[in-house]
Amino acid sequence: MKIEVTKDWCIRMARLEVETGADMGIGGAPAVANPDAVALDPSSGSMPETNIAFGRFVRLMRRKRRQTVESLAEDAEIDVAELVEIEEDNHHRPEPRTVYQLAKHFDLPTPSLMQLAGLSAAKNASFYAEAIRFAARSETVEDLNDIERAALEAFVSVLNDRK
Amino acid sequence: MSIETSPVFLLEVATDQPIEADLLDGIAEQQLVHWEDEWMPVLRDVVARMKAAGIERSKWPQSLHWDWRQKAQGFERALANPGFCVMCQGMTQGMMFLDLLHKARIASQAGKELVYIEYLENAPWNRRHIAGDQVRFAGVGSILVRAAIELSREEGFKGRIGLHSLPQSNPWYANTCGMTDLGADPDYPHQLRYFEMTPEQAEAFLAKGNTS
Repeated sequence: MKIEVTKDWCIRMARLEVETGADMGIGGAPAVANPDAVALDPSSGSMPETNIAFGRFVRLMRRKRRQTVESLAEDAEIDVAELVEIEEDNHHRPEPRTVYQLAKHFDLPTPSLMQLAGLSAAKNASFYAEAIRFAARSETVEDLNDIERAALEAFVSVLNDRK
Repeated sequence: MSIETSPVFLLEVATDQPIEADLLDGIAEQQLVHWEDEWMPVLRDVVARMKAAGIERSKWPQSLHWDWRQKAQGFERALANPGFCVMCQGMTQGMMFLDLLHKARIASQAGKELVYIEYLENAPWNRRHIAGDQVRFAGVGSILVRAAIELSREEGFKGRIGLHSLPQSNPWYANTCGMTDLGADPDYPHQLRYFEMTPEQAEAFLAKGNTS
C-alpha cells in the first residue's frame, strides 16, 4: 500500500511531537499496578508468607503440568527471567502483567492470584492463613508427592472459591 | 506478499533537520532483529538504571513486555492483521500492528468497521522519557497513526481508528490527535483507556499537519 505524505506534513507533526514531549505507546499491558488493586507498601514487608506461597504455588503448578520454566514462560507469554525470580526469590515483587498472564494460563481468578502475589490486599485474614498453610506444606522437591499434590489442589480450590 | 515502501521524513531533533525515511507496509525479520538486538538492550539498560536509582515502576518504560516476534509470528498468516514500520538510516524507528476486525464504539459510529491499532511502539532512543534531551527522531508516531488512517480509508472505513493507549501516551491521543476518550476499558488488561477517531476527527488530524 503506497501512502502519499508530504515532507511539510511530516515535519509539522514531528515538531508537534517535540513540543508536547509526546510518547505514543499503544496496547499491551503497562508496568503499573491494577488501579483497582489495593497497593501494598513493599517496604513494609507486608505479607511475606503470601510471597513465599506465590513462588511455591507457581512452581508446583508448573511441575504438575510437567513444564520447564522456559516452556511455562513461553506458553504464558511472560519473561523467563521474571519467572525464575518468582520461583527462587521470596522477596521478588512480580509485575502485575505477569500475574495476570499466569492467572489466565492456570485458569484461575486474577484477583486471587494478585492477592497471593502480594499486589493487592485480601479482604479477610483467612486467605493469608490458607497461604501460610499451603507454603508450610509444599516443600520444593523434584516430583510432586502426595502431600504436595493435596496441598496444591486444596489451595487451588481456595483460590477458585474467591471468584 | 511483497512489502511496499512510501517515502516519508523524520525530524532529527539534534539538528532540527528533516531526514529521509521510509514507511513500510509490513514487518519483516529485519525489524524483529532490530527490536531484539537494538531496542531491547537499551530498554533493559534503562530499567536496570531506574531500578538501581529506586525509581518507581510506574515510571519505567511501559512497553517493556511487548514481544514483537511473538506477535509477528502469531499474526503473520492473518490478513486481518497488517503491520507498518518506519525505517531511517538503516534502523527500525517504530512499528505498529493493526487489526481490521474491530467495530466502532462511539455512539454515532457504533457497529461500523474501523482499523484498530493493536500495538504501536517507538524505538527507545526516540522516546523523551527514556532518551531525555538526546531524542534522535521525532515524527514516527504521527506517521504510523496516519498510516492507520490511510488504511482505514482504503478499506472503506472512512478513517475510523481505535486504540488502547498506554497511560504515558493518553495526552497525545486525546489532545494532539483529537480522538474521543471513551474511558478506562474494564475488559482490557489494566483497564487501559480506549480512544476512537471518527472520520471527521481523522480529517482534522490530517489537516493539522497541513496548517502552518
